Amino acid sequence: MHVPFLWYTMMFGLACCWVLFSGCERQDEVHREQIVALGTIVEINLWGVDKERAHRATAAVADEFSRLHQRWHAWEPSTLTVINDRLRKGQSITIDEESKALLSQAKALSLASESLFNPAIGELIALWGFHSDDAPSGPPPDPTTLEAFVSKSITMKGLIFENDTVRSIDPSLQLDLGGFAKGHAVDVAIAQLREMGIKNAIVNAGGDLRAIGRKGNRPWRIGVRDPRSNGIIVSVETHDDESVFTSGDYERYHEYQGKRYHHIIDPRNGYPARGSTSVTVIHRDAATADAAATALFIAGPEHWQSIAEKMGVEYVMLIDQNDTAFLSAAMAERIRFEVEPPPRTVVQLL
Amino acid sequence: MTKADAVVVFLALSLLLLLYSRYWIGTNAGETARILIPGEPEIEIPLEQDREYTIKGTLGESKIAVNAGRIRFVNSPCTTKQCVLSGWLQNSGAFAACLPNRISLLVAGKALRFDTINF
Repeated sequence: MHVPFLWYTMMFGLACCWVLFSGCERQDEVHREQIVALGTIVEINLWGVDKERAHRATAAVADEFSRLHQRWHAWEPSTLTVINDRLRKGQSITIDEESKALLSQAKALSLASESLFNPAIGELIALWGFHSDDAPSGPPPDPTTLEAFVSKSITMKGLIFENDTVRSIDPSLQLDLGGFAKGHAVDVAIAQLREMGIKNAIVNAGGDLRAIGRKGNRPWRIGVRDPRSNGIIVSVETHDDESVFTSGDYERYHEYQGKRYHHIIDPRNGYPARGSTSVTVIHRDAATADAAATALFIAGPEHWQSIAEKMGVEYVMLIDQNDTAFLSAAMAERIRFEVEPPPRTVVQLL
Repeated sequence: MTKADAVVVFLALSLLLLLYSRYWIGTNAGETARILIPGEPEIEIPLEQDREYTIKGTLGESKIAVNAGRIRFVNSPCTTKQCVLSGWLQNSGAFAACLPNRISLLVAGKALRFDTINF
């Protein structure tokens, strides 16, 4: 009697193992696709969606990104360059609701950041040679030219909305939505996926992302790149609907005679911001996270807390030029260091 | 030992061997990296085999080398060469991209612990 019992027990065990391990074999159920949009690589991860629907959703996002690219590109002919052309001539221009909503949001975020995130300094960004797909070359801009620009104190306060028109009080106010347009596009893409009934997704545009829902029975896991190596410095699990944006001095830069000039320009002095190496922000809304990462990078290790508070940002990690990680108390609860030994860490209350 | 006992022992040992070969030997076989090109299926390559790969991107060919369990861009037709300057990638999650040529590399490791990379 023992043998059949043992036999059935083993068969049952084998059946359990089969079910268990065949479950593991189903690979991940994430549909991952990459597209080229906004001048970068956009990766879209969708969970719990069949292949055909996922492909349709990705194609729809690609089309939308292409439309946004044509609207908001800072130097290729776009709706934005048309607006800039009219602002340069001191004229007012009629804008549609979409443009008004976007520029108003950019203005509000800029004012909240005390103009550290400043989309009105397109002329200064162009002076540094960053209005090109290629790396800038040659000497940095002449200090007198930079001083002359900075002395005008161009900010978004000078962009005036009147009914359905916009004008500026200074022809030097030229819009550049770098540090915001990508976040806006990611927000639009997520809204689009939701309209299509997709509840679990990551839209990662050139390293900056918004994640909604989960990957099955666990949250999405994000690795944040170490600014001084190619590895991962921290990991974070997203909660339901969050954006993770990082601004770093390694992304784009102008190199001349062995000296590097990165692309995050401090509007207060006209030069690349000093003090920070990278700033990572978690916030629900991608456009806010994008603008905040830029503003807090410029604010640097001494002033980031007050700007974060004003912008309504709770989760911040700033790594300074000595590799010290400054964390908001809320961020310290969320991240896990993935490097050994972890960097020197300073946790600060906002 | 009866015949049935022998069958049970045989099946148990077979299962053990199957699981060992699949989930133990397999993972010791080495790390892998993924070459990602928009619109193309991912290319998964083993890192225990030293060799050079030529991958066609938007601008031209990028040369990618695998050596001693590491991977890197050796050359790329971009102007900034940031991808080449990224150097060797070894740890799981390590990432480098040639954005102008639309090619990126990701070390997947034995088990990639991240769903995506923020940078």
